[in-house]
Amino acid sequence: MPDYKKYQCGVCGHIYDEAEGDPDTGIAPGTLWEDIPDEWRCPECGAEKSEYDLMA
Amino acid sequence: MQIVIIGSGVAGVSFAEKYRALSADDDITLVTWEDDGYYSRPLLSRGFTKTDIEQTIILKPFDKLRENNINVLCGAEVTAINRAGKSIALNGSWSHRFPTDCDTSAIPSSRQEKTLQYDKLILAQGSSAFIPPPFRPYEKLFFCLNSLVDLKALRKFRQGFLSQNRHPDWAIVGGGLIGCEVASDLAAAGDKVTLFHAMDRLMERQLAAEDSALLLKVLQDSGVKVLLNQAVQGFIKEENKVCVRTEVTAEFDGLIVACGFKPRTELAELAGLEIGRGIKVNQYLQTSDESIYALGDVAELPNGKLYAFILPIRNQALWLAEFLAGQKQDSWTPPVFTTKAKVHGFEAVHPYNV
Ligand SMILES: Cc1cc2nc3c(=O)[nH]c(=O)nc-3n(C[C@H](O)[C@H](O)[C@H](O)COP(=O)(O)OP(=O)(O)OC[C@H]3O[C@@H](n4cnc5c(N)ncnc54)[C@H](O)[C@@H]3O)c2cc1C
Ligand SMILES: [Zn+2]
Repeated sequence: MPDYKKYQCGVCGHIYDEAEGDPDTGIAPGTLWEDIPDEWRCPECGAEKSEYDLMA
Repeated sequence: MQIVIIGSGVAGVSFAEKYRALSADDDITLVTWEDDGYYSRPLLSRGFTKTDIEQTIILKPFDKLRENNINVLCGAEVTAINRAGKSIALNGSWSHRFPTDCDTSAIPSSRQEKTLQYDKLILAQGSSAFIPPPFRPYEKLFFCLNSLVDLKALRKFRQGFLSQNRHPDWAIVGGGLIGCEVASDLAAAGDKVTLFHAMDRLMERQLAAEDSALLLKVLQDSGVKVLLNQAVQGFIKEENKVCVRTEVTAEFDGLIVACGFKPRTELAELAGLEIGRGIKVNQYLQTSDESIYALGDVAELPNGKLYAFILPIRNQALWLAEFLAGQKQDSWTPPVFTTKAKVHGFEAVHPYNV
């Protein structure tokens, strides 16, 4: 079992959970943060990937 | 059933999409005076450092919603709610398809008037910028940053200076969340910025005193001149400049008023719905009329709170769609959420007060 992490959008608070992925935007469950394309944007507010922070 | 939604912000659009996903048969019509599509309001405060913002801020063009069988009437202002007849009146210059049962009384110009029947009406009208009464007579002298239309006007004004190889000198009135964000973004884009705040510390409502001090330092280091304890009395137009009057008078190229927001309650009030600071709703987001619901920036919950942030609004929208589709019985309860000032280089130490 990989150790999945969560990342949070600093603009709107949306949480990206690696375990769940984001199927609506084409990100399969289990996709690690670094494997998400750089053009991907927050599905709720459109902020860029760089706006996300790793959650403690 | 005819579901009519007023507003194309996160509240109206999230509700429309979720309800469409849950119920294939009902008609959904979304009315909005916007023309540009569904866009991200939080990104407005990054509107000067990002050159392609006018495109990238659009989360979804209205045609995407139409493809999903949501009837969007854009460029249309709702001018009245008729509760007895369960209809709304609209006025605008839209060009798009109408539901067939819509009564068209065309007037001889590109502007048209219509009435639209509803079984359930969803008020997702959001908020406008709050303008303190002493500033209202000067409305032509300042900008606000509340919508994409506002941002475009600001960018155009700013471009006029950049194309003459100079950066404008701005005054921003209001050191709350939006004032600080805009000051930071304009400074990061190379402009000269003076921020006037009435209180003795920045963002006093959301931040602990220690974080206000940190924010002050971050803004000052980025070149923003911050003036606290300022009683701004009004503005004066001087040829190409605009002046801010406090105890002294200082002149600037451009002026932005950022003093908070005001829920758009006027239509609901005229229709006789119960109003407080926002449109009053119960725990089911239902107004004092059982066929009318309200959510987002415009809705005031029984605890007196307005949930004016993306996360809780999305949560309200998804909940309401499930509730109206018969898939939820329990009332709406606010999710845990926080916020973050989008000031370049600022990280608060303490939690925000939201
Ligand atoms: C500059 C700025 C930065 C922000 N930053 C953040 C942030 O970082 N994080 C966060 O969570 N939140 C942030 N917010 C707050 C957040 O954007 C709002 O809470 C949210 O957008 C409100 O959504 P809404 O759908 O309720 O209303 P709105 O987005 O205001 O949408 C309302 C819509 O109603 C329509 N409308 C209203 N009346 C009529 C009428 N009579 N006829 C036709 N159409 C009508 C308009 O078309 C409008 O589009 C920010 C807001 C601003 C302004
Ligand atoms: Zn986001």
